Amino acid sequence: MSDDLALKDLSEVADAIAAGRITSVQATEACLARIALWQPRTNAFLRLRQERALRQAHALDKELAAGKRRSPLHGVPLAHKDMFYRQGEISTGGSAIRRNWTAPVTATVLQNLDEAGAVELGCLNMAEFAAGPTGHNVHHGHCRNPWDATRVTGGSSSGSGASVAARMVYGALGSDTGGSIRLPAAACGVVGMKATYGRVSRAGAVARSWSLDHVGPLTRSVRDNARMLSVVAGPDANDSTTSEKAVPDYEALIEGGVSGLRIGLSLPDALVPVDAAIGAAVQAAADALGKLGAKISAVTLPDFTALYRAAEVIVKCEAAAMHRPWMATDAPYANQVRSRMEAGYFIPATQYIDALRLRAHFVREFLDTAMASVDAVLLPAIPFPIPTLQETDVEQSGGPATLGMVARFTGLTRPFNTLGLPTLSVPGGFDGNGLPIGLQLVGRPFDEALLYRIGHAYQGATDHHRKVPA
Amino acid sequence: MDDKTRMAAAIARQLQGLTFDDKRLAELAAEVEVLNDAVRKAAERLTFDDEPAAFASLMEREAK
Repeated sequence: MSDDLALKDLSEVADAIAAGRITSVQATEACLARIALWQPRTNAFLRLRQERALRQAHALDKELAAGKRRSPLHGVPLAHKDMFYRQGEISTGGSAIRRNWTAPVTATVLQNLDEAGAVELGCLNMAEFAAGPTGHNVHHGHCRNPWDATRVTGGSSSGSGASVAARMVYGALGSDTGGSIRLPAAACGVVGMKATYGRVSRAGAVARSWSLDHVGPLTRSVRDNARMLSVVAGPDANDSTTSEKAVPDYEALIEGGVSGLRIGLSLPDALVPVDAAIGAAVQAAADALGKLGAKISAVTLPDFTALYRAAEVIVKCEAAAMHRPWMATDAPYANQVRSRMEAGYFIPATQYIDALRLRAHFVREFLDTAMASVDAVLLPAIPFPIPTLQETDVEQSGGPATLGMVARFTGLTRPFNTLGLPTLSVPGGFDGNGLPIGLQLVGRPFDEALLYRIGHAYQGATDHHRKVPA
Repeated sequence: MDDKTRMAAAIARQLQGLTFDDKRLAELAAEVEVLNDAVRKAAERLTFDDEPAAFASLMEREAK
């Protein structure tokens, strides 16, 4: 184990704080030192709350000394995508429009983390209004990949992926409408969970599309992720789409192993061309799980063409409605953010409603075909090597090739937002440029615990998640 | 300006109170045509009793 406190996992640090071996202040100072080193290289933070974080850590240390441990996250420094409201504080949503806007409420997930005794280090970079899969942001500066500053982080939770990968924070919240947790998790080499729709409250989080938005954690290990999800998941009176189902202790369930589990392997070239190196990494992951006792079989995903279109209709209509007051003016959007919403003003309401009505059919079809005889599906997250910022800069060079590459980013992630199914992104190796490769594990509704179990077993047999950007 | 673009212009101006130039209206008309056609075709499988909330019910029913 490294002596550098910042390099330890969330769960190691949390347990060390609980045992009195280290303090929350020490963990916070370690993160701040790491931020000083990595922020200039990544631009992961939009705002740092250094003094307040240290005060918070000090208070939590005093509580612990007095015998009060709030939760398994007590004293752990985190930071979150700049879209989770905190009452009385600025929340930009990655935009220029809300550069100085003050939130009137605190997001439910932040309240949960506050009650759990987590320390908040600051607010993280993100795509403008969570609209963009690469990590570009013309208003606040692009977020850069810690593994190679010329390459994208993935988005829209760009700062969440970069800050966790660079060991600036032990965990971060992100949001995912078409892949925005899993893409930065994959591109930065960390773990990201898009839980079942309704598992985590969206109240007080900037919406991209109410019907498709999912809030979830990004962490260094599966165990850390399970611990964080247990704290933020659950019913919420302020979000009527949350489920009343009890939240399991995910971390307590991760040691079950994969022996006898049926895992379907999909390299869905028919949907999106999968680069050979990415396909080989996913195959290697399947082989590793097979050696651990899982039963691996090939599965074919349904044709998602109609699902993609329905998802576009839902996102465009909902985004157009919520952005109307600004869209009707010359509000300072990035061109691609504005242009992606405009079609929403022309889509008939009947088409929008039909897209929503189709969701249950899409889920039924997926469960009855791809998941008919397996417990989880394994597939790539991003089907090609991580590109450069320049190659994907649609504001600077929005030609067909650039737009096509950006669109392909979400080819294998977007379907699971429309399906609402739990999907875990886990590091699965490195491409020829030394950039991470991400795997996705898809499960049945509310089967997050099983995905964590598989991911944890895989991480026990591999060390991809232990590698740290230099 | 073709019929679809003219219709898009009318929707923008008369129903939404928004203005776009002709080139953008033509692009939007083409984009919306693709989306509408795809959803209309997919919706052939829907029945009278299908409603948006069926999605949440199904997720709860299929929960592990």
